[in-house]
Amino acid sequence: MRIGVDTGGTFTDCIVADGSGFRVLKVFSSPDDPARHIVRGLRELARSRYIEDVIHGTTVATNNLLERRGVRVALVTTQGFEDLIEIGRQNRPQLYNLNVQRPAPMIARELRFGVRERTAADGTILLRPGKREIERLRQQVRSSNADAVALCFLFSFVNPENERLVAAALRRLGLPVSVSHEILPEFREYERLSTVAINSFLAPAMGRYLTRLEQQVAAQPTLGVGRGGYKGRTCATRLFIMQSSGGITTADRAASEPVRTILSGPAGGVVAARWLADTLGIRRAISFDMGGTSTDVCLLDGPARTTNETTLAGVPVAVPVLDIHSVGAGGGSLARLDAGGALRVGPESAGAVPGPICYGKGGDQPTVTDANLLLGRLDPDHFLGGAFQLSRGAAIQAFERFLREYSRKHASYKDPMQLAQGIVAVSNATMEKALRVISVERGYDPRDFALICFGGGGGLHAAELAASLVLAQVVVPPNPGAFSALGILISDSVRDVSQSVLLAVPPQAANNGSREAKRLAADLNRRFQQLEHAGITELRKDGIPNKRVNIERAIDLRYSGQSYELRVPFTPEFLPQFHKEHERAYGYSAPQRPMEIVSIRVRLTVPTPKPPLQPEPLGRAVATAAIICEKPVWFNGSTHTTRFYDRARLRPGMNLNGPAIVVEYSSTTALPPGFRCRVDEFQNLVITRHAR
Amino acid sequence: MRVDATELEIFKNMFHSVAEEMGASLRRSSFSPNIKERRDYSCAVFDGEGRVVAMGDHMPVHLGSMPISVASVMSALELGEGDIAMLNDPYAGGTHLPDITMVTPVVIHGTGAMFYVANRAHHSDVGGAQPASMGLTEEIYQEGLRIPPIYLTRGGVIQRDAMTLLLANARTPREREGDLTAQIAACRLGERRLTEIAEKYGETKTRFYLDALQAYSARLMQAEIAAMPDGVYRAEDFLDNDGFDDRPIRIAVEIRISRDRARVDFTGSAPSCRGNVNAVLAITQSAVFYVFRCLLQEDVPACAGLMQPIEVIAPEGSIVNARPPAAVAGGNVETSQRIVDVLLLALARALPHRIPAASCGTMNNISFGGVDPRTGAPFAYYETVAGGMGARPSADGLSGVHTHMTNSLNTPVEALESALPVRVRRYSLRHGSHGAGKYKGGDGIVRELEFLTPVRGTILSDRRRFPPYGLAGGKPGKLGKNELLFGKRTIALSSKANFTAPAGAVLRIETPGGGGWGKDVRRRVAKLSVTSPHIRQLH
Repeated sequence: MRIGVDTGGTFTDCIVADGSGFRVLKVFSSPDDPARHIVRGLRELARSRYIEDVIHGTTVATNNLLERRGVRVALVTTQGFEDLIEIGRQNRPQLYNLNVQRPAPMIARELRFGVRERTAADGTILLRPGKREIERLRQQVRSSNADAVALCFLFSFVNPENERLVAAALRRLGLPVSVSHEILPEFREYERLSTVAINSFLAPAMGRYLTRLEQQVAAQPTLGVGRGGYKGRTCATRLFIMQSSGGITTADRAASEPVRTILSGPAGGVVAARWLADTLGIRRAISFDMGGTSTDVCLLDGPARTTNETTLAGVPVAVPVLDIHSVGAGGGSLARLDAGGALRVGPESAGAVPGPICYGKGGDQPTVTDANLLLGRLDPDHFLGGAFQLSRGAAIQAFERFLREYSRKHASYKDPMQLAQGIVAVSNATMEKALRVISVERGYDPRDFALICFGGGGGLHAAELAASLVLAQVVVPPNPGAFSALGILISDSVRDVSQSVLLAVPPQAANNGSREAKRLAADLNRRFQQLEHAGITELRKDGIPNKRVNIERAIDLRYSGQSYELRVPFTPEFLPQFHKEHERAYGYSAPQRPMEIVSIRVRLTVPTPKPPLQPEPLGRAVATAAIICEKPVWFNGSTHTTRFYDRARLRPGMNLNGPAIVVEYSSTTALPPGFRCRVDEFQNLVITRHAR
Repeated sequence: MRVDATELEIFKNMFHSVAEEMGASLRRSSFSPNIKERRDYSCAVFDGEGRVVAMGDHMPVHLGSMPISVASVMSALELGEGDIAMLNDPYAGGTHLPDITMVTPVVIHGTGAMFYVANRAHHSDVGGAQPASMGLTEEIYQEGLRIPPIYLTRGGVIQRDAMTLLLANARTPREREGDLTAQIAACRLGERRLTEIAEKYGETKTRFYLDALQAYSARLMQAEIAAMPDGVYRAEDFLDNDGFDDRPIRIAVEIRISRDRARVDFTGSAPSCRGNVNAVLAITQSAVFYVFRCLLQEDVPACAGLMQPIEVIAPEGSIVNARPPAAVAGGNVETSQRIVDVLLLALARALPHRIPAASCGTMNNISFGGVDPRTGAPFAYYETVAGGMGARPSADGLSGVHTHMTNSLNTPVEALESALPVRVRRYSLRHGSHGAGKYKGGDGIVRELEFLTPVRGTILSDRRRFPPYGLAGGKPGKLGKNELLFGKRTIALSSKANFTAPAGAVLRIETPGGGGWGKDVRRRVAKLSVTSPHIRQLH
């Protein structure tokens, strides 16, 4: 039995594949000791059956980085560049803010040590660190009382000799050493340095957390009973961790490379969206995950793409991360009117505490959730299965107070209902902007895409968003609240390896079949093979069986002189493919310009067996059996008598017509007038516009 | 039609996204390190009358000057569908010659331009006496190719003669052509997005909200100014020299706040100088725009309405409103910073608990060029080096960061050394260069560049003589320093100098630290006083 566990801020979702479907359990998270509640969830779900694998999406790395909680790291770098971690790219995060702040550097000045060494751009060692130099460095690091070491020299991605030499010496101190050419042999020194520093900073806490979790799992009489061992441990249940790249890795690897897990949870949702789209035969989809404080979107044109340009908590993270775009619009986003009379919604959020007004936990500023409640789209009696009563009265009072306070500021709202519609419209506009950033801005036409919508609030907004971007359809899977956990459960084991090569493409190589083209292909093949060999060795070391390993080769290219690369799969057609991608992304291509190969990338994947979804026959039953009640709901500026359906009672083949609201345990889906919804053979709600 | 708070917010965000999207496309597909790595570019959306509606958060120094470019194009040329105008003439809507601006109209249903979109990018070289076109010069004619508003495309077709003329005058024509192509693509992108918006919301409504946004942004600024105490606030500060005559150059301002309006008068500033630190009016307006926008509590896109309550007076022929043929390359990068320093110093009297001490106050411009021995091809390179930020009334200044009128990124060492025959020997903070105080200024930077081939170059910097001021008892930041090291010899360079260097020479730049705020001893209310021997706050 395999269990997926996704730890969030408020809830921990556990999911298990069981026969034809999934079982889901939600338990409250315990930020002080996340392991405790995870074990409780496992025990309840397993029902004394043996658990082979626990696959875990964790926020430990993310939260520790955001809150700058980490260990004392010594930074060892090329002499003269000790302050690079503080200077960064020498810019400031906000232009027009006299009080602008940069996050404090993870490594204080007295913990940065320069080494007299240098490698040139072509890999020539200009200066090798001497024995005395290395000994001096060892002394300095030892007496600094550092708990971990980050090592990054200039041009180590071309020639790692100097880094290897110094790493070997420092490892003899018994401290964990993160080495830049091992973690990320790619160019751009600040981004590489930052990635390595984050890794050292987070590794010890991540290691402790995972060890504790493994111990707790092992201590359960009903868990961890079974044959075989996992790398010599008594715990027979294996623990895997979700990486930000959309694949899982072993707990050991995650403990030594925690920088690869900084977007562990959100990655699960994207993987699930890809899988669901594949099941439904949809190639182009957008995953849309609306939570309490933010909305995460990711464009899927075939396999999910990763980027190496992520910034988190003000620092670059250059390892592969799924290309997820996040905006500050969620159910808890706060509304206000600015001094010029425009309605602002977010990015400030009421969060879990105090939360929206209607939760009655002390919130007194209008939020998106309150607006949805006032418009009737949220049913106060059926929230979280009716376990939690929402207070409509408190929300109305607060909206009225808001209007009185702001009446002098050119406010154009007559009553709370108008304000509520405004709040929903502005938050929709923010989400629409996020969808445009990942589609239109990158040269994709949203009309070709299906929106796969999950998270607590997505279903309330999806149809309206789909309408304004003319998306093909909206799919709301069952259990949208636990969709990320599902993605974590079904993720493949993944190891990403890369190498910057900075290789000029000879002009004649554009001509397929030419001697230059063959020579280039042979050279690249040799480099790819080396990289693959290294990756497979790592997989073996991790104990991941690699008989069925899939290998994907990709190449980062640019026109010589540009600074940003485009990634294309490495096929015989990779050069024309690059021109095509450039044309799509930037509106022009220049096939006559010289090109440069910046990095080569390999992704090794060991597939995880996916629980086969059993389609249920489409019935002829009408949905009336699932109706809970009929109430007025605001859509398009007026009220409409709207049927409320219980999702648990909807059966494949049923059709609903808007206006309608579908209520379930962790989510609500709104169907405005003019939309229709079909329950497909996998229990998904598939929303489309009425044909005119 | 009535202004609806919801739609106002939606239109504002839409126009701003168009500007941001043009910028992202330009950055990612361009070739000059100045554009792609340092992000020295700006993109903006204008209404049919040439009023800026939204500008991307790119380069503050372009804030006030982009509208002047559009106005200049509108009066010089008849732009129709598919036409793109190009210009760089500082005396016809430009800033300094390396900044090439493109303007294109967006015509909806063939009834004249409903919008204009413009973008500007700093090109690495546009000819002139020195590689990278940022040399020490006495006339604009030495600074590079001067382009008044001309057609770069007509009806969607590139005008080859305009293009070839430009390329023939630059040291790195291939890079220029790549950058210009990226700029054209960004114009097209803006045009496409705005057409979609106008079609989706209809012409009438779109026009209505174009106007509403101007009124909205004017209201925001009026509310901000109204919250300041009425009064007259004066200050002065100096540039070291103009690179030729070793005389300080005075910049003086008087800010008059009355109710919800501000009058900013630069009368009393020095006349234009012989060197290139002359600022055209566009630069001065940008600096004023920048300072007032920083005071605004709301985060809003730049919009012409923001400047509506502010009147700027800059005497013609002065250092802050130069006339041809004065050289201007440094006005954009150096004088603009000093204008900001003077404005903030004056406002510190009105808002003592909001205004920071002086930041570095110079962009420390380094440019050089030569022939790459690996390829035999000529190269030209330009970069700026950050410094210390002034301390704030409630926080230390940041170290090693670009402040005020620039926010350009550094070129990664591994990118620079892979591309050019140069080696970076050191890039670190200049510890101890900050001004002390209750809150410390930020530290400057030390950068050492070793040339691997003979080069000709220019250093254009300031605050090598008059340090960044402290406020409220805080100490000034440390002066900057320029040196050329060769073998055992050290040659001191002045704040502005042309140089030639043999292979193996090292250029060493130490940039100024930021001023401190408040006396070092903790006390509850700090009395405002200015601590720098050379400047006064005039009462």
